[in-house]
Amino acid sequence: MELKICHMYPDVLNLYGDRGNVMCMTQRLNWRGIETTVRKLPIGDSASLAGFDLVFIGGGQDFEQQVLLEDLHRGKDREIRAAIEDGVCFLTICGGYQMLGSYYETYDGQRCDFIGALDLYTVGAKERMIGNYKFRCGPESGGSLVVGFENHSGKTWLGSAVQPLGTVLAGYGNNGEDGTEGARYRNVFGTYSHGPLLPKNPALCDHILLTALTRKYGRAELAPLNDEAENAAHDEMAEKIH
Amino acid sequence: MTIRAFFAILLCKALQLFARILHRGGTAMPGRIALKLCPNLLAILARNVKTVAITGTNGKTTSARMIEEAFRLEGKSYLANRSGANLLSGITTEFVRNATIFGKVDKEYAVIECDEAAAVKAFGQLKPQVIVVTNLFRDQLDRYGEVTHTMANIRKGIQAVPEALLCLNADCSLTASLAGDLPNPVRWFGVDQGAAPSKPVPELSDATHCIRCKTAYTYDYVSYGHLGGFRCPKCGYCRHEADYAVTDLVAQRMDSTEAVLRINGKRELAKINLPAMYNVYNAIGAVAAICEMGLGSQAALRALAQFQCGFGRMERFDLGQAGARMMLVKNPAGCNQVIEFLQNITERFSLVICLNDRGADGTDISWIWDADFEGLRGLGGNLRQVLVSGDRAPDLRIRLKYAGIDDGRIRVQRDYEALVDWMARQTEPVLIMPTYTAMLELRQVMIRRCGGAEFWE
Repeated sequence: MELKICHMYPDVLNLYGDRGNVMCMTQRLNWRGIETTVRKLPIGDSASLAGFDLVFIGGGQDFEQQVLLEDLHRGKDREIRAAIEDGVCFLTICGGYQMLGSYYETYDGQRCDFIGALDLYTVGAKERMIGNYKFRCGPESGGSLVVGFENHSGKTWLGSAVQPLGTVLAGYGNNGEDGTEGARYRNVFGTYSHGPLLPKNPALCDHILLTALTRKYGRAELAPLNDEAENAAHDEMAEKIH
Repeated sequence: MTIRAFFAILLCKALQLFARILHRGGTAMPGRIALKLCPNLLAILARNVKTVAITGTNGKTTSARMIEEAFRLEGKSYLANRSGANLLSGITTEFVRNATIFGKVDKEYAVIECDEAAAVKAFGQLKPQVIVVTNLFRDQLDRYGEVTHTMANIRKGIQAVPEALLCLNADCSLTASLAGDLPNPVRWFGVDQGAAPSKPVPELSDATHCIRCKTAYTYDYVSYGHLGGFRCPKCGYCRHEADYAVTDLVAQRMDSTEAVLRINGKRELAKINLPAMYNVYNAIGAVAAICEMGLGSQAALRALAQFQCGFGRMERFDLGQAGARMMLVKNPAGCNQVIEFLQNITERFSLVICLNDRGADGTDISWIWDADFEGLRGLGGNLRQVLVSGDRAPDLRIRLKYAGIDDGRIRVQRDYEALVDWMARQTEPVLIMPTYTAMLELRQVMIRRCGGAEFWE
């Protein structure tokens, strides 16, 4: 078996440890003898998304947003929408997650069009939502308890065409109001859990990998790994966060 | 002086005395309360003191100690906020400590380290003669926000003091951009191509796109992180030639560096009493500040050779047969520099890494995934054992596991007493990488065991 991962915009969407997710997926596949290739797709690289099994998009700073949007609107937006409809697995985080929605409206009312791949939109809030948080994934996303760190000022609202990734147990999640966290659509996983989400949440990592492998090979299984270290970090934070 | 300032000083001094009796540090609290009573107290006290202020993401404390050493060697009367209390409150406490109750400060100079978020308020009151900006890196996102936000804070602070001379890092495209729209006179420091390691542009840079026109930079060379010979191909924004430059590295040792400097056109050989590239930057920034404060290049060179930094910055402890050395880490850029230093060690050693997630460390520990712990893998047999500690030790353990370090060689030890016991038993050197609050706590335990200065001394 082999999995082809695309890391989109590692040059600008790498805010705080985002690459930890790619490292984690790669290692967990390699430990099971599954070959993995990671192709970085920086700004200006017009390589096609066709042929990738899993696309990762991280979060970024406001400063580079304009550069990013220009690049997206040069055709990558169409590519992303097509890949998503084709069932390619996506993991998108924070800014990368918001970007798949229809738009972002700043706190002072300026609207910025995003790529409209997912039925959701984001509105800037006055206060940033910062801190450790935890949520429970829905059954269709494996049902595991996820611990993470969020840092966003945008409040995201889901439309009827997408499902939340999970239900907030402590912290803010999508908007701090409706108890939802992240979004699921076809094989897309979107979340506010920024930075290294997967290393401490091996169950979610394996669920995402399995989703990508199942799409590619019809059926797939992942051999269990020794997750003692991962689970120790996970459980301790799950206990700490209220 | 107003009656309000008089009472503020009196109160501040009483609180300082109180803190000392209780054997507490008390480096910020007295000033904080005094400022509530008299918000412009620092301005009153700093009025007749010639001040050099040091701000930026990394290297503030080390640079300040180097600058201070020049004042000490030249026999000048000066004060300094040595304890790392670098917010407005801590700076005020230090000035009050050196003032009479009538607000007269009996020191001619002040060497002040200033937190980059506190620069907004502090610069206007301090009215520094020289301001050094060391560099700007991503740092504690939950506390400072994005790096451009930190830059805006520093800019706002400098806008209150248009006469202050700026010593800016020429190699940092973010820091250097401060010169563009400020009327202040500027002197530049940096590392020339000849002294930079020949490396390609790193993947993780905190400044990939031009701060002025958002085009991707090209680099003639990179010294570390995003520092180096940057150039914007579109708008032409590029590295300014350095007035104070490191032109060549002659020797890089475990505990010192020898470098050739160009100081206003004149070549000088310098011994820097610290290893690693980030300290070479601290050194050249300090030379710029010392010279611009009027102390002369020979005073600067003597200071580099003789200063002792301590307080967790390459600080040596007499523990175990071969000693222990503590190197504070706070963010990916600094951590990578320490890892690079470890890669150059030729003997066997053990490593202790302590990660806390308290306010002063940043509550978000995501940054450990931006730091290149993969570099430790290349140490092979030289790295004997790794002990992880601190509030977030389990996160460090998985970071190292995914960096390819055998989980069997990693041990979690959260009890600092037991950790220091272990250090004392080692026959080979122990290197310690703590975050800020972990450094304060672990250092306490270590100096109880083997001596050293309390942090407020």
